[in-house]
Amino acid sequence: MAGQGIQRREVLRILGTAAAAAHFPGFSKWTFACGHIGNAALQIKPAEYRPQFFTAAEFPMVERLTEIIIPSDGTPGAKEAGVAEFIDFMVANDPDVKYGLRTGLAWLNAHAEQTDGKPFVELTPEQQTSLLEPLGFKDKERPGAEAGRHFFRMMRKYTVAGFYTSEIGYKELDNPALKFYAESPKCPHPGDPEHADLSSAHS
Amino acid sequence: MAKQIYDVIVIGTGAGGGMAIKTLCEAGLKVCALNAGRRLDPEKDFRYHRMPWDMKFRGLDDPKRLSQSFGYMDNEYTKAAWDHEIPFTVAPGTKWMWPRCNAVGGKTNFWGRSSARFGEIDFRAASLDGYDVDWPLPYEEISPFYTRVEKMIGVASTVQNRPSNPDGSYLPPFNFRCLDFILEAGCKKVGVPYLPDRCAQLTQPHEGHPACHFCGECTTGCDVGAFFSTPYFLLPKAEATKNLELLTNALAKNVLVDENGHATGVAYIDRKTRQEVEVYGRAVVVAASCLESARIMLNSKSRQWPNGIANSSGQLGRNLCDHLYGESARGYLPQLVGQPSFPDHVADSTIAWMPRWQNLKDPHEEKFIRGYSIYPDGGCSEFPWFANELDGFGSSFKREIKRRYPAPVSFGIQAPSLRSDTNFVDLDPEVKDPYGMPVARMHFEWDENVLKMWEHSKQVCAEVLRAAGGVLEGSGEAPEIPGWSLHETGTCRMGNDPKNFVTNRFGQTHDVPNLYVCDASVFLSCTDKTTTISILAFSLRTSEHLIENFRRGEHKAA
Repeated sequence: MAGQGIQRREVLRILGTAAAAAHFPGFSKWTFACGHIGNAALQIKPAEYRPQFFTAAEFPMVERLTEIIIPSDGTPGAKEAGVAEFIDFMVANDPDVKYGLRTGLAWLNAHAEQTDGKPFVELTPEQQTSLLEPLGFKDKERPGAEAGRHFFRMMRKYTVAGFYTSEIGYKELDNPALKFYAESPKCPHPGDPEHADLSSAHS
Repeated sequence: MAKQIYDVIVIGTGAGGGMAIKTLCEAGLKVCALNAGRRLDPEKDFRYHRMPWDMKFRGLDDPKRLSQSFGYMDNEYTKAAWDHEIPFTVAPGTKWMWPRCNAVGGKTNFWGRSSARFGEIDFRAASLDGYDVDWPLPYEEISPFYTRVEKMIGVASTVQNRPSNPDGSYLPPFNFRCLDFILEAGCKKVGVPYLPDRCAQLTQPHEGHPACHFCGECTTGCDVGAFFSTPYFLLPKAEATKNLELLTNALAKNVLVDENGHATGVAYIDRKTRQEVEVYGRAVVVAASCLESARIMLNSKSRQWPNGIANSSGQLGRNLCDHLYGESARGYLPQLVGQPSFPDHVADSTIAWMPRWQNLKDPHEEKFIRGYSIYPDGGCSEFPWFANELDGFGSSFKREIKRRYPAPVSFGIQAPSLRSDTNFVDLDPEVKDPYGMPVARMHFEWDENVLKMWEHSKQVCAEVLRAAGGVLEGSGEAPEIPGWSLHETGTCRMGNDPKNFVTNRFGQTHDVPNLYVCDASVFLSCTDKTTTISILAFSLRTSEHLIENFRRGEHKAA
């Protein structure tokens, strides 16, 4: 590609981040997962996150759900990106969704107790996944869990929003929005306008 | 103390006002410009180089604010520049979104930059299909003004020889991305055009302005001025003449008149002191944007103008039109699944377009009259919106998001509503803004013709996507609500007959010879093209007509 990528406003950004550390959601986690931030000034240990909306019992559940939705599996996932903190912050600011998420978490716990005899966070990862599969996979849906599916869809939406607006999420996708270009970026396959043969060339 | 009398008072500093201010100042006239908001400081106010995680709500904005739907441009990156203080109302059954940028430069700070000329097919539409009336001027009369505007602002495109789209003088176009080549091939099979858009984004340095650095996010402002906005391109030229006094936080209230009903100046509210202040001029240019200009003029009631200034026709505020926007189709291109990420987002949705192809040979070829254009878009965007449509969770979900990241495509329609007696703006008889001025009340519904275009576009775009080898996933359930496009036109339409039109062919009001209108409110019809470049061209022409009237002594210079 013709353009040379430059990290935009790198210095400003890091300074801004440091200043914002105290109150920006997700910060306590992801700043330390960002390999390129080597600035010693940033190596302060952030205070443990204190949820603004979720209770002490609910927050670990949210954290666990985000981790299951976007796991760490070779590349960092929702946990490293501090997605649960982001969700807590957004929900704290959104009166319209508080009730739905709170009752959803209660429903999931009751469902876990009923199925496996324990609250959700105390189940094994395998038990947690098999409990969620009917809520998250269309071909595993079972009748009668509409409320659960709705809640899980909402949780997944928040997780996606939190993860892919984090620096870790940008790196996961190799998001091009971090860069400047010298000329308008051009399709690199001039001989193949229909792009019929790409998969073989890049697989 | 003798009161100061300017030559011209200009209300508004957006595309129309900015062009008037620059043109009048350069001609040696003393201008006082009123702007409803403050000046922006690009370093501080343009937050587009910030990453989402540097923003409090990750750029997604405060949920409480989002629910008020101020419009897609009014977001966490730019909200300080948009007006949230002046309310408006809607008549029963009307939905309306009204994003208003009160900052100096108005919406040009954040505009979409698509810059197609109107063509003869637009100016003579009524002769062709029998609906409404023709514009009071032929294309060839406005064409030289477009050429001059294109030279001033810089538009990237190609010569395309399309019957509905006169060509101009262009900077090199944007390069096509992978998705453009794929969709272009699909369009060829279906027989519809797929071409570089006319994009006022500088693909090379132009008239002292730097070339674009292709960072994307243009609609959150550009802090190097690599696309046209009046604070970068026009106002500095006006200020260099020393003929301009620009008053900020000055909310225009009404046009003042003398005993003959001629304009003598403007009363405005100083939003800092909340005091009403008057400024005086030999002529007044209203360029506050289509709906706000109508509000100011309707609110300019006097013994001479009991229904609003220059409203003997009763047409002030009437004939409101807007562009219907909506997602005609969305899906993805399997060819691009699993490909490396690519900077597809560098010009938002204005790299390519599918310019009007309907009703070109025969005005009644389709089930609707006139035509619409399509803006295709897709590829790697800042946020993977498509993820919510995918199934499942866990590693497979995460992997699929990454694989699909370069592949989504969508088609956005831009379709003109037709004028109707039931679409208009008036003053709310009860509700007043915080400064005591009646608020604008919208009366609007999409007409049958434009809704037929919407249905038609869904069919064609689905066909194009499939012909391109893509997978169709759906379309918008309904078009966006009226007002969404920020392209409202028509409240002070131009025409030769003073009984039926507010302004004449020069944008001068029929009733009040020293009152001019320089925004999209003078447009006789909405067309399938965006408004800004035409506002600039018409404002340039109106301003030169005004200057000529000063030279001829019709308005006396101070």
